[in-house]
Amino acid sequence: MRLWVKFFPRMHKYFKLYSVALRQEFAYRANFLTSRLRNLFQIFLVFYLWSSVFSQEQDFFGYDRARILTYVFGILIVRSLVLTTRATEVAGEIARGDLTNYLVKPINYFYYWFNRDIAVKFLHLFFSFFEFLALFYILRPPFFIQTEPVAIIGFLLSLIIGIVLFYMIVFIAGLVPFWAPEASWGVQFVLIFVVTEFLSGALFPLDILPRQIMDILSFTPFPYLLFYPIKIYLGQIGLFGILKGAFVGFLWILILNFFMKKVWAAGIRVYRAEGR
Amino acid sequence: MTKNSFLSVLSQKKVLALFLVGKIVRFLFFYLFVYYLIRETGSLAGYNFHQTIFIFLTFNLVDILAQFLFRDVYRFRPKIISGEFDLTLLKPQSALFRSMMSGADVIDFVTLPFIFSLTIYFALFLDPGVLEVVLYTALVVNSLFIASAFHILVMALGIIILEVDYLIWIYRDALNLGRFPIEIFGRNMRAFLTYLVPLFTMITVPSRVMMGVIDFGAVAVSFFAGVILFFLSLRFWRVALKRYTSASS
Repeated sequence: MRLWVKFFPRMHKYFKLYSVALRQEFAYRANFLTSRLRNLFQIFLVFYLWSSVFSQEQDFFGYDRARILTYVFGILIVRSLVLTTRATEVAGEIARGDLTNYLVKPINYFYYWFNRDIAVKFLHLFFSFFEFLALFYILRPPFFIQTEPVAIIGFLLSLIIGIVLFYMIVFIAGLVPFWAPEASWGVQFVLIFVVTEFLSGALFPLDILPRQIMDILSFTPFPYLLFYPIKIYLGQIGLFGILKGAFVGFLWILILNFFMKKVWAAGIRVYRAEGR
Repeated sequence: MTKNSFLSVLSQKKVLALFLVGKIVRFLFFYLFVYYLIRETGSLAGYNFHQTIFIFLTFNLVDILAQFLFRDVYRFRPKIISGEFDLTLLKPQSALFRSMMSGADVIDFVTLPFIFSLTIYFALFLDPGVLEVVLYTALVVNSLFIASAFHILVMALGIIILEVDYLIWIYRDALNLGRFPIEIFGRNMRAFLTYLVPLFTMITVPSRVMMGVIDFGAVAVSFFAGVILFFLSLRFWRVALKRYTSASS
């Protein structure tokens, strides 16, 4: 028996999920490649948009050309890690009654999807690295390389917070079918494809918005998904800002965790495995 | 068919409300972004605030109308894989028409009045004449013909090579680049968006016409492209139908 199985016997099944998740991704290769291609289109749009705005070598919103294009390329990598998810399937499993298959197994449904998500994220990260190099070669943008250890550690910490936060948001949105199976896609559309897309900073750095709006947004979980990690990498947030962001992000993890457990418990009580 | 599709979705009022709220919120976010961007920079690729918003609305109009009309294309691949398409072929009705338009999407339908109203509202800032309005309307209809040609091509490819219904999503993402003026893109990308995904024809030419910039050459090429693409897609559909093997049934 391998050493890690010996020390983490209860975690063995979750580790096994990684290889299953990777095999599933490669089983549907066209699906996987399409999702990567779609991601590239997003990056093209944001890159050309900001490249056009900064074509005159002028500074806007406190950004110069190098920093804004680093922000855009940062999105490619950070997006692969934070916003890539398969947990959107939770809603469908509950609506179809497939959740029953998991309830009878000695497995925690929350951790099951979290581990599957982590496997998928690393696969996408791997491919996004090559896309990053290819785009870098084609577009040849000026790029800012961060060398400060505090910023690099802060960036990594903010990435972990972003990954956990986004997973919880998606998972909670996926619990809606316990009460309204037909509304699951609608909730995901609003929360993930509209609100998260705009308020996470995937299209534009949020600090181009007025100070008052930015202050309000900083109390929501969304800026901690993409905007904060990339700003920390760019060195535009100091040690106090990093700690403050980590604190608010961590607070949101606690709040969402509490909320998720309550919703899950209430949902399981009304779950009737309709469709099975 | 469409009536049945409408009735099944209309019974889910919560879903309709959610989608409508989502589309309104998305527009508001975009509006705010463009407003603050152009307030700082003065213009975007030479377009002012109202013109930029109008291009976004034209993109939305074409995209949502196409989704509303051709929603069943997204459900086409499972029909081929399961062999259900055999039943479509047996019916005394055009298989293409039934496969494309039998499930008009009421969710997109309810958002259309919102998009129409906004498009008219922002068009008023551009101060168009009768010629501009008539040409714009004709060009948007032409864009729908081009969109339908792409949907037919995707379905035809779906018959020949089962995997490729993902192409519809790639087409959608490429079209999504039309949310902003095409002038923001570099030369190579602009060529791709003009000749491969005719974004220039579908979004830019109608928008410019409404802004009073009428290039009759570009307008003529747009209509020509619409007709040619539509007829080519119909031919390709017939070729694909001959290759249908009904292997799964």
